[in-house]
Amino acid sequence: MTTVTVRGLGKTYADGTEALRGVDVHADEGEIVALLGGSGCGKTTLLRLVAGLDVASTGTISLGGEVVSGTHPAVSAVFQEPRLLPWLSVGDNIGFGGRRLAKAERQARVDGLLARIGLPGAGGRWPRELSGGQQQRVAIARALIGHPGVLLLDEPFSALDTFTRGTLHDLVLSLWRELRPTIVMVTHDIEEAVVLADRIVVMKPHPGRVQEIMQVDLPRPRDRLAPQFDLMKRNVLRAINRSLAETARPRGGEGGVPAWI
Amino acid sequence: MKLPGWVVGLLIPAALGVCWELAVRYGVAPGRLMPPPSRLAQTAWTLTLSGELWSHVAATMWRVAIGFLIGAAAGTLFGMLCGASAWAMRLLDPSIQAVRAVPSLAWVPLFILWLGIFETSKLALIALGVFFPVYLGLLTAIQSVDRKLIEVGRIFGLSRWGIALRITWPAVMPAWIAALRSGVGLGFMFVVAAELMGASEGLGYLLLDGQQMGRADSILVAMIVFALLGKVCDGFIVAVTRPVLRWQDTHRVQL
Repeated sequence: MTTVTVRGLGKTYADGTEALRGVDVHADEGEIVALLGGSGCGKTTLLRLVAGLDVASTGTISLGGEVVSGTHPAVSAVFQEPRLLPWLSVGDNIGFGGRRLAKAERQARVDGLLARIGLPGAGGRWPRELSGGQQQRVAIARALIGHPGVLLLDEPFSALDTFTRGTLHDLVLSLWRELRPTIVMVTHDIEEAVVLADRIVVMKPHPGRVQEIMQVDLPRPRDRLAPQFDLMKRNVLRAINRSLAETARPRGGEGGVPAWI
Repeated sequence: MKLPGWVVGLLIPAALGVCWELAVRYGVAPGRLMPPPSRLAQTAWTLTLSGELWSHVAATMWRVAIGFLIGAAAGTLFGMLCGASAWAMRLLDPSIQAVRAVPSLAWVPLFILWLGIFETSKLALIALGVFFPVYLGLLTAIQSVDRKLIEVGRIFGLSRWGIALRITWPAVMPAWIAALRSGVGLGFMFVVAAELMGASEGLGYLLLDGQQMGRADSILVAMIVFALLGKVCDGFIVAVTRPVLRWQDTHRVQL
């Protein structure tokens, strides 16, 4: 029900740092778009602008064709850290995302989501009693309880180990199939982008700009071991290399493929 | 040897008490200015039976309670105000910090001149002493609330007021309670000062009276009762607030 359209978006901070310049990105209804790039390419800045947590210096953000500013009831988010409220129980934390719902409906959704995220009966526990991965599941449930039109993911899996990350990818995908929010996600992990996204926006740094946008035409569920999957990963890697080569040339030095790839 | 912790903690005071008791009993030490435990118990018992101790305790507790309520309420109010509004902070905080720079006891002569020698000046002094730790503790806590949790409130559509109520307030609760506890401690400190500057009843009066009458035993009894009251009040705050701090990892509060 909600498209996300970003036009000519730029952000210069008060200290003069230009984090983002002239970014155009579009996400169709129910589409998963991944913003991919290294640090300094403005991908988190872009997400924060869409979330309404920061104000853009130039350009517009539209939801469903309507230009918006500030936070919006249709937009929900999961951050890099779980950011659960430590004084609320796990169940109340999930319910926090659905404050607009009637009490009975909210409780029913909390119970349903607790089961979906593999923590049935954990509603009365404290966040601190859960592991990092479990806390992040709760944060995902909190973000989805209100059935948002747009879900923003700011590297929510980056602090988790490989195994936990894989199961959380599956969780997000299964909830996405059910609720169909438009997802805009930030990641620096190529494999994660290829597993989850319909489209990958490769970004380049200083200031953050769009390098290129790549369609991921792999059938779902995606098989990480399939040759096409590898091919897609390599294509994305090439795009990143191109962006690094272009940004490195005028500045001299520090070219080539960095170690994290 | 396995002894419970509180027994171990009692070993040194008990040993000292027994030694002193024996020293006085066998004439090794005089005991007039340092009365042995048995004399203290006797004095406490006499003061309790005559109802005198109770009236002193009641007077002191009444002063601490009223002074604490005024000081804590004002400290909380100004702390919230300066924490919520940068403008209020710029306007009020410098003046409050300037007043804080004056050692609170230095107000005594002025309070007596302005408010008289009776209850009002005492309450003002106690309230002033309680105000600063509460104000400062709450303000610091509000300023250090995790911005990331505030953002959660914004994402899920809370208003400014909603964020204050549902994010900031619960987040600063532990620090506020800690501030109230140090406020109570200062309340007792200042009630002693207030009662020493002239009172006809109260534990501070008992102290002064003991000094003038050369009764070290009633001084010591008053001191012990002060310690007990302080402990009880602190324990009361801890007990009352325990339910709201249940979520804290480190809530194992030391009494």
